[in-house]
Amino acid sequence: MSPGATKVFQPGLFEAYDPSQFYDEMFSAPGTPRPHYAGIFEKLASLAASQFEERRQLADVTFLLQGITFTVYSDGTGTERLFPFDLIPRILPGTEWERIERGLTQRVVALNLFLQDVYGQQRILRDGRIARSLVYSCQHFRREMVGVEVPRGIHTHISGIDLVRDSKTGEFLVLEDNVRTPSGVSYVLENRLVMTRCFPELFQTHEVLPVNNYPAELCKILRVISPRTGEEPQMALLTPGIHNSAYFEHSFLAQQMGIELVEGRDLVVDGSVVYMKTIRGLTRVDVIYRRVDDEFLDPLTFRPDSVLGVPGLMGAYRAGNVTLANAVGNGVADDKAIYAYVPDFIRYYLDEEPVLRNVDTYLCAKPDDLAYVLEHLPDLVVKAVGESGGYGMLIGPASAGREIEEFRRRITAEPRNYIAQPVIGLSRVPSYDPATGRMAGRHVDLRPYCLYNGDDVIIVPGGLTRVALQPGSLVVNSSQGGGSKDTWVLRGEH
Amino acid sequence: MNRYHLVHVTQFQYDGPVSESYNQVRLQPMHDEGQSCLSFRLTTVPAARVTSHRDAFGNWVHQFNILAEHRQLTVEAESVVLAHNREPLSTSETTLADLDSLRESLFEDHFDFVASTAYVPRLEGLAALQEEAEAQGKSSALGFVTAASSLIHERFRYVKGATHVNSSIADSLVLGAGVCQDFAHLLLGIVRGRGLPARYVSGYLVPRAAAEAEAGVEEVIGGQASHAWAEVYLPGSGWIGLDPTLGEPVSARHVRVAYGRDYGDVAPVRGVYKGHAGQRLSVDVRVRPALDDAGRERLVESAAMPPAPVIDERAQQPEQQQQ
Repeated sequence: MSPGATKVFQPGLFEAYDPSQFYDEMFSAPGTPRPHYAGIFEKLASLAASQFEERRQLADVTFLLQGITFTVYSDGTGTERLFPFDLIPRILPGTEWERIERGLTQRVVALNLFLQDVYGQQRILRDGRIARSLVYSCQHFRREMVGVEVPRGIHTHISGIDLVRDSKTGEFLVLEDNVRTPSGVSYVLENRLVMTRCFPELFQTHEVLPVNNYPAELCKILRVISPRTGEEPQMALLTPGIHNSAYFEHSFLAQQMGIELVEGRDLVVDGSVVYMKTIRGLTRVDVIYRRVDDEFLDPLTFRPDSVLGVPGLMGAYRAGNVTLANAVGNGVADDKAIYAYVPDFIRYYLDEEPVLRNVDTYLCAKPDDLAYVLEHLPDLVVKAVGESGGYGMLIGPASAGREIEEFRRRITAEPRNYIAQPVIGLSRVPSYDPATGRMAGRHVDLRPYCLYNGDDVIIVPGGLTRVALQPGSLVVNSSQGGGSKDTWVLRGEH
Repeated sequence: MNRYHLVHVTQFQYDGPVSESYNQVRLQPMHDEGQSCLSFRLTTVPAARVTSHRDAFGNWVHQFNILAEHRQLTVEAESVVLAHNREPLSTSETTLADLDSLRESLFEDHFDFVASTAYVPRLEGLAALQEEAEAQGKSSALGFVTAASSLIHERFRYVKGATHVNSSIADSLVLGAGVCQDFAHLLLGIVRGRGLPARYVSGYLVPRAAAEAEAGVEEVIGGQASHAWAEVYLPGSGWIGLDPTLGEPVSARHVRVAYGRDYGDVAPVRGVYKGHAGQRLSVDVRVRPALDDAGRERLVESAAMPPAPVIDERAQQPEQQQQ
């Protein structure tokens, strides 16, 4: 930053901004932006607070008009909320992204090979690289999938891999894998749209890699997995319905891809073939992008009380008459205890060293780890293995003694159900704090969305940056009141 | 004569019309070193196209759906099984002390059959039975499992209706009573508690009369021939069958249909349907020797013919399932 730039500092958006002890994505030192953030910093610092506020309101109105909302289950009201959006983008230089992309690619391929293996030959179990008891005791391991061959061998068509940057080392680490029904990609697309409306000039001065090809890439994959080759495939997105927290995304993606949006009751299985009920009668369905969890998918095979699914669907799937994306049973690969072994999967199946490391993880199923965890609960993050979305979690340093004792009881009762990790000081990005009218550092993570077609992994540059908008909070999950930012990958260095 | 002709008829009567009925059945007898399934045929009324596959435990599963409205559903499984004569295991070198050292490897190799399940949770209440069986078994693993099976036979009363299909062993422990399903679960609980792999077996117990009496006698025995017992894995010997309802080892009168971790894996008929009507279920199993006095096949004169199919526009010929 040239010394001359400091004169535009007086509007005060960055006044008293403190990068603190955490890794700050924008600043390498107080007042010194990193090269890839220099342009943004200059732009923002030149805005008066009132000008920034105008653009912020424009963003809010745009989201409201688009109907982009999110439902939070735990607050008892079940109301839809605007998904909070922060205007300061999260920026990654192209060179850094390339490394992340390499790491994600090998991870997705290895996760897919692991799923092929545990539901097929089980080579990794026979070779003793992971305990059968650990795999078979996963809540989401589906015995119904043992021996089922999926089209093109693809289990993980869509993965959302959560990354965090460790403030201590500045390194990106994998926090968790999501290979069941990862959500949030619609916000990646909408955030970009809103950003280009609020700050069109920034996209002229920055070469930001586009993200809007995601629906087309996903649609291509759904097309190639159709069991009826040579015919135009009939595709549908299966949603649990309007009460699901991600319903907006379901309708958004269906519309973007030009495929049918259906609920379980719109489909019927007859003789192992799936049909859609239309006004012209029954139409055969070849591919279902399902956003309904395994246990609700087919009341004949899984939970009999489910009204969200389609009875007989598993039979049609097993017979190869319909392809489901993602495959059934993927939850065994993103179980939080299995997560600890993913670097080993990369070595075992690909004979490569992992590019992206895991966060150190203690498996309470192991007696030594359990003893350590119980001794250090106030310092650790504890997670229930089968949960997602930030539910069933204890953040030791931020928890009262009562909550810690409650988790001690739960862990002791069912050690297999818990893992623990050291608290990672997530990196921060300056974010607007409406209370003070200034920027303040807020913790972020990053969820890139990876598509797999059996040969290549296709990743839209960046992904969803989730931000913990409460001061000091480390929980970025939207279900826990987090927000999001537009994520930019710049071509080249900056 | 260990060649049996089995006809298993399951009938659902609904109070009102139901539709979109989807069903999964595990009724085809196993075909392995212990018994040969010579033929199997599944028929439904109303008629349906049946598909089949094997589940994770190797059991045959048949699946079908009936979309049109109906008030009654009949599923008839007919099979001919040759049960091989096998000597019950009389000796085994494995000691209880061996089991302690093998505990971890048995758990890893046979996780599904050692871990607790919904029907067979780990219960303090089993400890006394386990200790007693160990004492009676005199440090032999085979002695222990045999004693466990006999103890259940002696201590628990067979009371039809005492428990229901969803009862876990906690219920039968409190009642001191149950049916074959509960006794099999209890045996699983005791031996799994000692670290031994054990699996639930569903099948038929051929009544002595039908197994031994002169050909031509056809037994109609309600649902009672449907039976359940357990198989325990003894290191060095393999899987051995024990029937805690009879308090005996299994014999050539036991016809195995499916096995799993507990009843939940092997329910003979499971289904969902649309409609508010309640249902009444009746199960009827007929067993008779499959050969006549002269040793000729008696298959031609099949048992009770199902009622004529109700013809509607979807009606198709039932598909034959032959093995």
